[in-house]
Amino acid sequence: MDHHPAVLPFMDTVRMKRHRLGQAASGGKKIIGYFCTYTPVEILHAAGFLPVRIWGGVGRAEKAYSLVPNFICPYMRLSLEGALSGEFSFLTGIVQGYTCDVACGLVNIWKDNFKMDLCHSLPLPYNDNRDARIFLRAGLHELIGKLMQIGKGFTDESLEESLTLYEEIRSILAWIFDRRADRGLPLSSGEVLNVVQAYFVTPPEEYLDMLKGLKGNLAGAPVPTDSGIPVLISGSLIEDAQALTLIEQLGFQVVADDLCTGQRGFFPIAGQGEGPMERLMDRIMKRFPCPSRSHPDERVPRLLDLIRASRAKGVIFLFQKFCTPHLADHPKVSQALKDAGIPSILIEMDEAGLMEAQVTTRLETFSGMLER
Amino acid sequence: MDTNRKSTKRLSTAKDLAKVVAEYYIECHQAKASGKPVGWMPPMNGGIEIFYALGLQPVFPENWSPVCAAFGLTPANFEVSERMGYSRDLCGYLRNIVGYVHGDMNGPSVPLGGLPEPDMVMSFGGGCIPAMKIFQVMEKRFPKAKVFRADAPQVAVEDIRDHHVAYAVSEMHRLIDFLEKTTGRKLDYDRLKEVVELSDKACLLWDEIMSYRRFKPTPISAAEIGIMFVMVTRQGTQIAVDFLTRVRDEVRQRAEAGIGVIEDEKVRLFWDNIPLWYNMGLFNYFEKMGGVMVAETYSAAWSLRLDPNNPIEALARKGLMSYSLVSCLSIERRKEMVMKACRDFAIDGAVFHQNKSCVPITLGQADIRKALAHELGIPSITIDADHMDSRNFSFAQFQTRADAFMEMLLEKKHEHGTPS
Repeated sequence: MDHHPAVLPFMDTVRMKRHRLGQAASGGKKIIGYFCTYTPVEILHAAGFLPVRIWGGVGRAEKAYSLVPNFICPYMRLSLEGALSGEFSFLTGIVQGYTCDVACGLVNIWKDNFKMDLCHSLPLPYNDNRDARIFLRAGLHELIGKLMQIGKGFTDESLEESLTLYEEIRSILAWIFDRRADRGLPLSSGEVLNVVQAYFVTPPEEYLDMLKGLKGNLAGAPVPTDSGIPVLISGSLIEDAQALTLIEQLGFQVVADDLCTGQRGFFPIAGQGEGPMERLMDRIMKRFPCPSRSHPDERVPRLLDLIRASRAKGVIFLFQKFCTPHLADHPKVSQALKDAGIPSILIEMDEAGLMEAQVTTRLETFSGMLER
Repeated sequence: MDTNRKSTKRLSTAKDLAKVVAEYYIECHQAKASGKPVGWMPPMNGGIEIFYALGLQPVFPENWSPVCAAFGLTPANFEVSERMGYSRDLCGYLRNIVGYVHGDMNGPSVPLGGLPEPDMVMSFGGGCIPAMKIFQVMEKRFPKAKVFRADAPQVAVEDIRDHHVAYAVSEMHRLIDFLEKTTGRKLDYDRLKEVVELSDKACLLWDEIMSYRRFKPTPISAAEIGIMFVMVTRQGTQIAVDFLTRVRDEVRQRAEAGIGVIEDEKVRLFWDNIPLWYNMGLFNYFEKMGGVMVAETYSAAWSLRLDPNNPIEALARKGLMSYSLVSCLSIERRKEMVMKACRDFAIDGAVFHQNKSCVPITLGQADIRKALAHELGIPSITIDADHMDSRNFSFAQFQTRADAFMEMLLEKKHEHGTPS
C-alpha cells in the first residue's frame, strides 16, 4: 500500500524508534518511560528527561508469563516481553500516572525485575475540588523532587517552556483531528496512527518540527472523494495500524476516535490558570476522561458530542482483551449510544492484533447495518 | 470432591459465625424497616466507623458476593449480568453483584432476605477498578439513593507521605459533612473515639488470633478465615470485639493444650490470594496427606493500629493502608508480609491462587514466589482459578498439582529428617 509522502518521516521514526532511543541514551540523554497518557510528560521534559511511551507492539508473549498471568491486556504483556528481551534497556526509569490496576502492578513488577534509577507511581485524584488540587500539586512536587535527584534540574521557567511546546504539539494534532472530522484529511486512519505513535517516541522539539512540516504539506493537499461509512473508534490504545487498515478496507472511514492513542490523549490542548503548574494541573483535571478514571455518565456526553461533530454513523469499540475499565463501562455506554440511535459493535484485540477472519464477518455485518 | 464444597471448621466459635452473619443481615433489614438510613459502601476503609458512630447502617455489596457463592446464587447472578453485556473477563464480584441487583434481589429463594435497598451509595475512586465500577453501576440502579463520590490516594504503604494523609483526612471530613446533611444527624466526636477504639481492639485481637498460627500444630487454619466477616462488616462495634475475643480465647486454649487442626500435622502451607468462596473446602483438601493451610493473604490485612485520640486521621490512614496491603500497589510490602508470615509460621510450602477475578492481588505473585524460593527455600505451586466463578476452576487440575506438591513436600521433610 502506498502511503502519503508526508507521513513517511513519522513511519520511519516509529520503525527506527528502538535504534534512535538507544543512540540518544548512549549520547547521555536520560529517558523516562510511561504506560499511560496521564503521566505528566511536561514535568519529565522540564526536568531534562525525554518522556517515551513504552510500547507493546504485536507479537507473542512467552517470557512475560514467568511474571504475569495471561489475563492482563496484551499491551502490558507484550511491553513486559519487550523489557525482558532488552528492548527498553535505554530507560533511566518509569513514571506512571495511576490509571488502571494492571499498569500499577506492572510498574511494581518492572521495579522488582529491572535495574532503574526511578520507578514512580503518581496517585491522581478522581475528584476535582480545592483539596484534590492541593493533593495533586503535592504529588507533582514529590515527583519533581525525585526527578531532580537523578536529573538536571527543574524550574518554573523550564516547565513554562515545556508546557508551551506540548501545547503547540497538541494544537496541531487537534487541527489534524478536526480536518479528519470534516473529511478534509488525505490520510488513512493507519497513517494518522503513525503520526500519533511518533509523538510517543520522539523528542518533542523534533516532533513539533515534523508536525509543522506535515501541516504545511497537508494544508492544500487534495482529499480523496471516495469515502467509507463514517465511524468513531473507541478503546484504550491501538498500536497496530493494520487493525485500522482492515477496518477501512471493509468500507469504513474513521472520522473520530476515543483512544489514548488518538483524540482522548490530546484533549484539551491546554489548561487554564496562573502559572505553569496551575495550567498543568488544570489540564490533568479536565482531560477527556479515560474509563479507568471516570464514570460512564461523564464519558457518554463527550462521546455523543464527538459523534455529532464528526457525523459518525456508528461506533466500533476496539478493546484490548481483558481491559477492565473499558469492558466494565461498555454495557452502559453502548446502551446510551443505542438510546441515542447510534449503533455500535465490540471487537477485542489480543496479542496477534485482530483475528481477521472472525472480525471481517462481524464488521461486514455491521457495515451492512449502517448502510441501511 | 466436587467444585462446590464448604470448609470443615474446627473452632466452635467459628461455627457461631453463621449466627453472627445472620444477625448482621437481620439488623440491615430492621434498619431499613425502621427508617434508619442504609448506605452501601466498599469495604476496608474508614467509612464503616463513621457510619456506626452516626448510628447509620452500613451494607457491603462486595461482601455479599461471598455469601452468594456460599449459597450457590452466583450462576443465576452471572447469567443476569452476562445477559446485560458484562464480559466474563470481568471480576466475579462485579458480575455477581451487578447480576444480583438487576435480578430478584429480595425474592423468596434469596438467603438472609437479600440486601436492603440503599438510601445512600458511597461511590468511590481509589481502590481497584472493578470496585469503583461496581458502585458506578449501583448509582444508576438505585437512582433515589443519595450519592457520595469519595476519593482515596492510591499509594503504596511504604510511600505514604503527609500529603496523602492530608487528602484522605479532607475526604473523611467531606464524608461526614455529606452524611450529616443527608441524614440530619450530627456526629458526636466522643462517640467516634469510642468506635475507633473498638476498631483498634478488633485489629489487636485479629493480630493476636493470627499469632497463634506460630504454634505447632497450628490451632487455627485458613479454613476458619470466615471470621474476617466481622472485620469487614462489624469493625467499630462491640459485636466484633466480643466475637473475636471468644475466638482468641478458644484459639489460645487449643494452642496451650497442643490441639491442632488435624491430629498429625506434617506439612504447613500458606495460601496467597482470595479463597474460592464457592469451594472453601479446598483449604481442607491437603489434610488427608497431613497438610494444613496454616495462613493466607488476609492474615495481615488488618495489622493496623488506630489512634482513638486522633480518630479522623486514624480512619484516613486505615483507608490508605487497607487496599495497599492486599494489592499490587505495593508488591514490595506484600512480599515482605508473605515472607514474614512464612517465617513466623514455619511454612513448608505455598499455594498461589492465580485468580482470574482479582488482577491486583495476582500481579506480583511471581515475584513473591521467587523471593520465597531464593531467600527462604520455600517451594510453591500456582493454581489457576477464580474466587467467584467456578467455571474458571478445574478441580481435576488442582488435584493433580496439589497431590504432586504434597508428595514433594513430604519427601523433602523426610530427607531433612523432620518428623513425618
